[in-house]
Amino acid sequence: MTEAAARPAAKLPVQALPWLPRPAGRMRDRIAALPADPLEALGAIRALAHAGWEEADLRQLGRKIRSILKSAPISLGAEARRHGLVPVHLLILSASTANHLADAIIATAIRFGFLLQLTIAEYEEPEPWLERHRDELKGNPPDFVLVASDGRMLRLAAPLCDEAAAARTVEAALAQTMRIAEVAGAATGKPVILQTLAGDPDAPQINMDRGLPGSPRQLASELNRSLALQARQAGHLLLDIEAIAGLVGQGAWSAGRYWYAAKYPFAVAMIPLYADHIMRIIAAQMGRSRRVLVLDLDNTLWGGIVGDDGIEGLALGTGSPLGESYAALQRMALAWKERGILLCVSSKNDEAIALEAFRNHPEMILKEEDIVAFRVNWDDKAANIKAIASMIDLGLESFVFLDDNPAERKRVREALPGVAVPELPDDPSEWISVFQAAGYFEQTSFSREDQLRAGMYKANAKRAAQLERIGNHDDYLRSLDMTLSIASFDQVGRKRIAQLISKSNQFNLTTRRYSEAEVAALQTNPDAVTVQARLADMFGDNGMISAVICLKNGRQWEVDTWIMSCRVLGRRVEEAILQHLVREARAAGASELIGRYIPTARNGLVRDHFAKLGFAKAGDAPDGETTWRLAVGEYSDKELPMKIEASASAGSASAA
Amino acid sequence: MDGISNATQAAILDRLQEIFRAELDDDDLTIGMETRQADLKAWDSLAHIRLVNGVESEFDFQFNLSEIEQISSVRQFVDAIREHLQ
Repeated sequence: MTEAAARPAAKLPVQALPWLPRPAGRMRDRIAALPADPLEALGAIRALAHAGWEEADLRQLGRKIRSILKSAPISLGAEARRHGLVPVHLLILSASTANHLADAIIATAIRFGFLLQLTIAEYEEPEPWLERHRDELKGNPPDFVLVASDGRMLRLAAPLCDEAAAARTVEAALAQTMRIAEVAGAATGKPVILQTLAGDPDAPQINMDRGLPGSPRQLASELNRSLALQARQAGHLLLDIEAIAGLVGQGAWSAGRYWYAAKYPFAVAMIPLYADHIMRIIAAQMGRSRRVLVLDLDNTLWGGIVGDDGIEGLALGTGSPLGESYAALQRMALAWKERGILLCVSSKNDEAIALEAFRNHPEMILKEEDIVAFRVNWDDKAANIKAIASMIDLGLESFVFLDDNPAERKRVREALPGVAVPELPDDPSEWISVFQAAGYFEQTSFSREDQLRAGMYKANAKRAAQLERIGNHDDYLRSLDMTLSIASFDQVGRKRIAQLISKSNQFNLTTRRYSEAEVAALQTNPDAVTVQARLADMFGDNGMISAVICLKNGRQWEVDTWIMSCRVLGRRVEEAILQHLVREARAAGASELIGRYIPTARNGLVRDHFAKLGFAKAGDAPDGETTWRLAVGEYSDKELPMKIEASASAGSASAA
Repeated sequence: MDGISNATQAAILDRLQEIFRAELDDDDLTIGMETRQADLKAWDSLAHIRLVNGVESEFDFQFNLSEIEQISSVRQFVDAIREHLQ
């Protein structure tokens, strides 16, 4: 190793977004070099945004995006959507200054694949603002509302040592925040993002304050705790400013003199990090969070090269600082597995030697059965990651690739721009904090299904082996001994239904997103026919794998939403669900089912869904949207390779 | 004023020009040493803070609060920048 390579680079602070590659060149020059065609320019900007630019650079970039959108033809939105850029409208409600955040947030959004339209209400209490703009909000509802509360807006103050007064103060601030959330949620019908409060570096710094009723620290920490709990219960989203400010330091987070000069809520240098966190939450809520961690082996999961150094020569586990840090990295991966993240391995190695390390190294924390897919060979890593993606049926946008080698990282980044590839500090002991700060696996809800996911993918591998053994697909399906349980939406399934609706991108006919509250409203809507379905077989329970919403329009039932988990593709579940819908429709006296396919960059899989089910094409729009119809009288029952259990409550037809 | 100071002043004005265009969101804006806050409608109190912040990140120093309050012309910006860079 040369001396230059051995010298560690200076550690980057969290607000520099150290997991992103460092920017090349000056933003001004990069913008000047953008292509003239607006769509091409947006594509180039999206790539350009994948770097740790500073606030001023992001602002220039956001401004450029706005100017492109302003002068572009109206069709640009639809075209951009086909290229994977999704329009999102965000409303920010702030009692402090907020307009200076706009351009940096817009530039950050495009890194996440969003074309952001921002409405900002600054300098004003949110409640009167919402009241005054009620009609506008109805006409052009934002997709998300961020209530950017800060300590100044909530004015937390109580006399010291008065426990009851402190509790009342916190209760009042909490009630105010939840009221704003409720009004915003009702006006827009969309999820609301709530903020915790950062600790105030200007408050007294007495160690006992956290336990002292009425002290600023006690009030803020009580409020944050209650807010987090209530947000979760009410189905709102949480932006944990206290935690973010804690990571960078309260002093660095604080606006300092910019509060006095211009009522900035926090320091300008923190805007890129703030924007990144907003976008993580929005991306997660829109089903764009990542779910797969692909790990390299040599010098990533352990120190040394197993093919050269042998199992006993690896640095792993107790005995050396380096070994300890690789063990910690493995523990991190395992902790993510327990949260439902799929672990895979892609490594240039001899497969037998690599597996031997997994089986026989006494300090290995990750075991062979923790890994959903191994691709250990001498092929190109980008090709291997692609192979893993098709093996486990998830898009590359779900992937994170962790590798110590900068050349491999660069290669994968260039070949597979959808895959997130974190930059890593030179020293492995510093990888974990950078990786965790990147927040790749942001989630806005957590269900039992998440915890079981890895097991489900394992079971799928067993099914694949069974199919290989039997050969004939129909015989294979019959051999699985499947049971499909169908019910209409209910309280028990609500969280998982909302999660399916917010996360499914591939088997999703219309990509319409509904919040948990909206899903709850559908349970009692007499004009809606809803279906949730679970699939179990001899290899295990797949959990809830499909959700369908039909809206009654006289004797026509329009399929508003049809979602299925890709885990159960090819199992004829969609045919069984159609059969169920037809029966419900007949029982309710409906004559026709109307289907609609709205193309996105990610749902090409279901372009022919309705055709395959026997619907006739009824319309063909220039933007690729198609409509379909099926006369329920002409449908004849199929013989399906599964047992179907429709629960008594299934279908709200009887309620209509 | 000697030649070197004039050159510095011109160089600072060049960089200020870019900052003013970006922060006041006007690509055609041309400023000169004689431009005052009162001459530019877009140069309101919030834009002023953006200008201050833009100058601070471009030239890598911090104004003090009284400077932020007192500056109300391009000439005052240039003078304050020169003072901080010395």
